[in-house]
Amino acid sequence: MKLSLQQHIYFFTLSSCLFFIVLVISILWSIQVVEVAIERERYAHKVESHSNILKQFIRSEDIYVENYNTDSWETLERKFDELLELTPALTSEQQTIQNSIKSQNKNVIRLFETINQNQLENADDRIKEHLKLRLITQLEAINSDSKQLFNIVQKDINIAIKQQVTFVLVILSLSLSVLLYGAFKLVRIFRTSLNEVKLAFTKNRCGNYQNIQLSNKYEEFESIANAFNDMNTELSETTVSLASMKKTVAERTKVLEQLSNTDPLTKVANRRALFERGNAEFSRTQRTKNKLTLILLDCDFFKNINDQYGHLFGDQVLQHICAVCSEEIRNIDFFARYGGEEFIIILPESELSGAIKTAARIQSSLANKAIVFEKTDVYVTLSVGICEITQQHRSFEEMIKDADTAMYRAKENGRNRIEVIDGCAAQ
Amino acid sequence: MLKKKFTIILCALVATFFLLCVSYFDLPQVLKQEKHSVTIAVSTTPLSTPFYVAKAINAFDDTCVNVEYQNVTGGQAAFERVMNSKVDFATSSDSVIAFESLKPQSFVTHAMFVQSDNDVKLITRSADDIAAIADLKGKRIGVTKGTASEYILTTLLAIEGLTIDDIQLRNYSPEKLIAGFKRHEVDAILPWEPFVFQAMQAFGDEIKIHDTKSLSTLSFNLISQAGEKLLVDKAECVIQGLHTAIHYITSHPQQAKNIVIAELNVAPEFIDWVWPDYIFKLGLNQSLILNVNAQASWAIGAQMTTAVGESNAVNFIDSRALLRVDSGAVNISL
Repeated sequence: MKLSLQQHIYFFTLSSCLFFIVLVISILWSIQVVEVAIERERYAHKVESHSNILKQFIRSEDIYVENYNTDSWETLERKFDELLELTPALTSEQQTIQNSIKSQNKNVIRLFETINQNQLENADDRIKEHLKLRLITQLEAINSDSKQLFNIVQKDINIAIKQQVTFVLVILSLSLSVLLYGAFKLVRIFRTSLNEVKLAFTKNRCGNYQNIQLSNKYEEFESIANAFNDMNTELSETTVSLASMKKTVAERTKVLEQLSNTDPLTKVANRRALFERGNAEFSRTQRTKNKLTLILLDCDFFKNINDQYGHLFGDQVLQHICAVCSEEIRNIDFFARYGGEEFIIILPESELSGAIKTAARIQSSLANKAIVFEKTDVYVTLSVGICEITQQHRSFEEMIKDADTAMYRAKENGRNRIEVIDGCAAQ
Repeated sequence: MLKKKFTIILCALVATFFLLCVSYFDLPQVLKQEKHSVTIAVSTTPLSTPFYVAKAINAFDDTCVNVEYQNVTGGQAAFERVMNSKVDFATSSDSVIAFESLKPQSFVTHAMFVQSDNDVKLITRSADDIAAIADLKGKRIGVTKGTASEYILTTLLAIEGLTIDDIQLRNYSPEKLIAGFKRHEVDAILPWEPFVFQAMQAFGDEIKIHDTKSLSTLSFNLISQAGEKLLVDKAECVIQGLHTAIHYITSHPQQAKNIVIAELNVAPEFIDWVWPDYIFKLGLNQSLILNVNAQASWAIGAQMTTAVGESNAVNFIDSRALLRVDSGAVNISL
């Protein structure tokens, strides 16, 4: 039979009550047993005291005196007889002693009667003394028996107390063992089941939808687990995890960012990205006082190329220039399309000479790499304006303006050449 | 795993508790002791019931003795066997102890195991019409000298102012008393059980049994020669067996009766006849000393013995063995 947790708790409580009742009953029973033993002890003590009184009476009285009045003796004997009749329940061993006392007492009475019947008128003093001694001996025997009874009863009290203490201890320890076992079991069931529920909740929070697996199958916890598991199933079906959503958003954002910063034709950074980067580099240079140089490149006779070879080829030319420039710049340099056939390279921490060398490398590379148009090699050139940052520059745009000025100077001075704007020229 | 651990802890707790319980009680001596062989001269009378029962219920198996009985008739015969070193122990009445205590010999009483206040009875012929003790004057009376039989006769006579000089005393061994009575060698006899019952069965209405109750309390005792330690040890083992037997007698009286009936081969009616007079219990009382002393000094005064010494029964008591078995049964003020 499978019990529910509630039934388990009821059962545990009821057994606790039952054990408590058994314990109380056993204690009451023990008290009863000990009381019976104590009553016997009291009785034995009374018998002993009374037999002493009788003995002393016979010792002190002259029972052979003429017209001896037996009233006081008879009163004492009657009392003793009554006492012997009011015996508490005795064990068989104690009953034997009790029988002995009763029988000896009958002998005492008979002997006393024999002595008093005719006052032993024919007897001499020796037999009188002997019979009196015999009377005392009988009373002594009663006295000894009552002492023995007292000893037996006392021994029995000790045994009874020992047995009852052990009995109560056994009941107590059994109750405690069972109750402890029950309590531990209940605590374990609760702790294990609650831990399993808690574990499932924790895993759920992390998006790991796991059902509750109960090690203890109890109705109450199973109902919780079932409700949770149902909820879990529904959640796992309808919910996208936050992490995967973040990941997706990040991926999309990255794509969008790339799209917004890239020139669609040449696949290099566009004007927006250029200004973003340029402003950032300018601000950094302002703080660090490092060098910053700009190269502005403009394709010579680009209009003619478009007219002569068509716009598609013009686009190819722009792509070609981008490829060459991208190859020739350093990793830390930033290359972007400024607009039309104009490109800008930002060279952080670069001297003017370094920029001139880079521009020269690009020109040289373009001079060596032709673009093929219908089996004809077409070469393009660039007019280059270079500007290095000075204290007069207040913004990135001003640097571009200076570079642009230098580039127009290059155009004016015959194209395919490099012109530099130094600090003074900016003014 | 946890459950297993818990079970082990629980078992350990329970085991510890039971060990405590066992140690709380006095553990019985489980060590096997060396068994001594002892021989006991047992008087063939229902008074020896504790011995027969002890044997029948194997009460000596748990003690340190292998017991062998020698059946004898009368406590005096048993006593002689002890003094002749033919046996280790014997069963003897207090009267025998009283008489023997006046002789220069050393013996001890270890324990009294039964008492009866109606064992020895006076039997006369109905035809002789002896109504009172005074009528015994001049009659021939058969007794077993040196026993309760002789003692009771002298006290009965003394109460009426008579002595043994006023009668004709005949001495018989216990089993020959009835035969002497039958042959008309005597007019009265003072036998003890089972001879009183036998006489009653043999003669029926021809005899009269006089009431002598209360004049004497007969007790049967375990005696031996004055004991050394080994003898006391043996006595302890014998008394231990008797203790078990007496407990059995008090709790199973009918079974005990059946054992005696079978052992003595007597009629159940006989046992039913004597049983109410018997009280089986172990003891060494002040009353035994008083009784023995009184009987001994009476024996001297009544010229029943040639001995002139004075009995001091305390010297013939050895309470060591009984104290070890049942200290509560010893009530002697030395």
